[in-house]
Amino acid sequence: MGDILLQLGHGFLNCFTLVHLLMLFIGIVIGLLVGVLPGLTLVMGVALALPFTYHMDVTASIVLLTAMYVSGTYGGAFTAILFKIPGEPIDVPMLWDGYTMGRKGMPAKALGWTLVAALGGGLLSAVIMVLLTQPLAHFALRFSTPEYFAVLVFGLSSVVALGSGSLANALISLCVGMLIATVGTDETYGAYRFTFGSPILADGIEFLVVMVGAYGIGEVLTRLETGFATKPIEKISNARTELPTWREMAPLKWMFARASILGNIIGLIPGAGATIASFVSYGMESQFGKRRKEMGTGIPEGIVAPQAAATASVGGALVPLLALGIPGSGATAIILGAFMLHGIQPGPQVMATSAPIVYTVFASVFIGLAFMSVVGYFAIRPLVKILDLPEAVVSAYVMTLCFVGALSIRNNITDLWLMIGFGVIGYLFERFRFPIAPLVLGVILGPLTEAAFMNSMISFGNDWTVFFTRPISGTVMVFTAIMLLLPFFQQWRAKKADTAKRGA
Amino acid sequence: MENNALRSTLPYVAGLILAAVLYHYAQQIEYSAHAGSLGPDFWPKATIAVMALVCVIEIIRRLLGSRQEAQGIAETFEKEEEDEAPPQTYPWLLTAGIVLVLAYAVMVTTLGFLFCTFLFLAAFMYLGRYRNHLAIWLTSFGITIGAAILFMRIAYVSLPRGEPPFDAITDFIRVILGG
Repeated sequence: MGDILLQLGHGFLNCFTLVHLLMLFIGIVIGLLVGVLPGLTLVMGVALALPFTYHMDVTASIVLLTAMYVSGTYGGAFTAILFKIPGEPIDVPMLWDGYTMGRKGMPAKALGWTLVAALGGGLLSAVIMVLLTQPLAHFALRFSTPEYFAVLVFGLSSVVALGSGSLANALISLCVGMLIATVGTDETYGAYRFTFGSPILADGIEFLVVMVGAYGIGEVLTRLETGFATKPIEKISNARTELPTWREMAPLKWMFARASILGNIIGLIPGAGATIASFVSYGMESQFGKRRKEMGTGIPEGIVAPQAAATASVGGALVPLLALGIPGSGATAIILGAFMLHGIQPGPQVMATSAPIVYTVFASVFIGLAFMSVVGYFAIRPLVKILDLPEAVVSAYVMTLCFVGALSIRNNITDLWLMIGFGVIGYLFERFRFPIAPLVLGVILGPLTEAAFMNSMISFGNDWTVFFTRPISGTVMVFTAIMLLLPFFQQWRAKKADTAKRGA
Repeated sequence: MENNALRSTLPYVAGLILAAVLYHYAQQIEYSAHAGSLGPDFWPKATIAVMALVCVIEIIRRLLGSRQEAQGIAETFEKEEEDEAPPQTYPWLLTAGIVLVLAYAVMVTTLGFLFCTFLFLAAFMYLGRYRNHLAIWLTSFGITIGAAILFMRIAYVSLPRGEPPFDAITDFIRVILGG
């Protein structure tokens, strides 16, 4: 414990350099803007920022991306409360009580509750993150390749099972991602796979090209098809934040803790990000909260529950990323990519080899939450002003960022063509309701899963039962099976409820 | 009804064809086999097999008219936000957008990143049905100059310079920025 605090102290000192503070501030502001703009998603924003981190040192780049991730879970609440426009899917529950409280003439108070919830949930989750990462990483040191394979399969399965849309579509999306990852020269045999004689494909397809294309170009094309039809917004001249008093907050302290811990736990599960945390927490409050019958009428519980859980999920998602090398969400998948771009592989060894970087990132989450609160409190008016920008202008700018992202990877025009191709695939996926997150995670985790599988087969004489007979890997495989059965259980329950409804 | 069922199988038929094509190429992966070891073709073939299997199941399920479909857990929550009517779509805008993006990729090496981006920005804003001419050209110019400063003076990203005579534009901007 003393060691953790000492290292965290060093992390704080490391954070207080001009470059890191600047990155933190820029990340917070961009994250808030991305959250505010309905055309930009949090994951897309983090993906677009990744190419700019090439020339930075690894700590600065991770601090920037993590700051964006933290504040991106908060910015969308402004527009949800003020204009009934959720900047992100995370903010949909904010429409039910946040916007309603605003319509009752208390938008400043609603924004105040949001700020307190994001700060409280974020801080509690950051503490849990610091306490949990090192023990989990130490435990993971016992892992051999079968255990790694099992954990990676669990991560991939939960992305499929916990995501949105059809399970079959998510599985196909994951397979496509894993196949994209196989393009290039195989590491064990040096054999060319799906290179079609192209020298640049022999080096493989950069995951960044896939991410920026699918999330950036794909999303812009989807919105272009609707003619950038956004809802007209009403003019708000007095957008400000009014913090709740201690007396108002005291009765909600257990609810705060419940929502934050729930968000943290959901964040820990690979594939379940801030959106699920936000909805589940609101649902829990509607089912079991003291004022459950008043939910939806503009009460603070309906604002605090989703916001605290959404921001708390960030700390949770960073734990498996750092301790096991498995991203818990789309945004952490990109942060994993940033680590890998700088030659660092998160996982159990990272606490031994790169502890200063990890603790600086931890410290940056604490400082980032404080920055986020200050910026959110004082700069709400200029932040929502960005909604005045026409979507065509913002989208044109996003496209330019995508082009730069592709061109800056290897200074090769082929990457631009590939990115456009993945942009069209991203659009088609969106059009036919195939989720993009499994594709991206397949591209990133595919090579790690393949390496763990192949090494296990080499070490254990092609005995595939090893994944089920070793205690840790066997247990994880059982969890994987449960995870994959969850959607079928849900389908069975829905069918049962439907039958009961018809019978009544 | 039957037409709908057939149409809904199309993405999975496409997936199955893709799987068949990729399997054909996976068969052609060349390597010197190590006795008793799995080759580099095993993993892609296994992935293709899973993909093909899922596609076949979906095609059969849809042709049999089954409405039961396992959904990801998040779908339960996201359904609640889908109460609005789907927005009107403009396929010609999408087509023109894709053509514009492809044109950018074709022209960027000839025109150079800065000039090509400037033209792209303006064209894309017009395509996005924004009609404030002054704002369009000023914004395009501003973003291009901003990009030039960012990538030529701060981040040092190597971007296409263009071919004569367009490379002169890139060089001119570089000189102005003190590069």
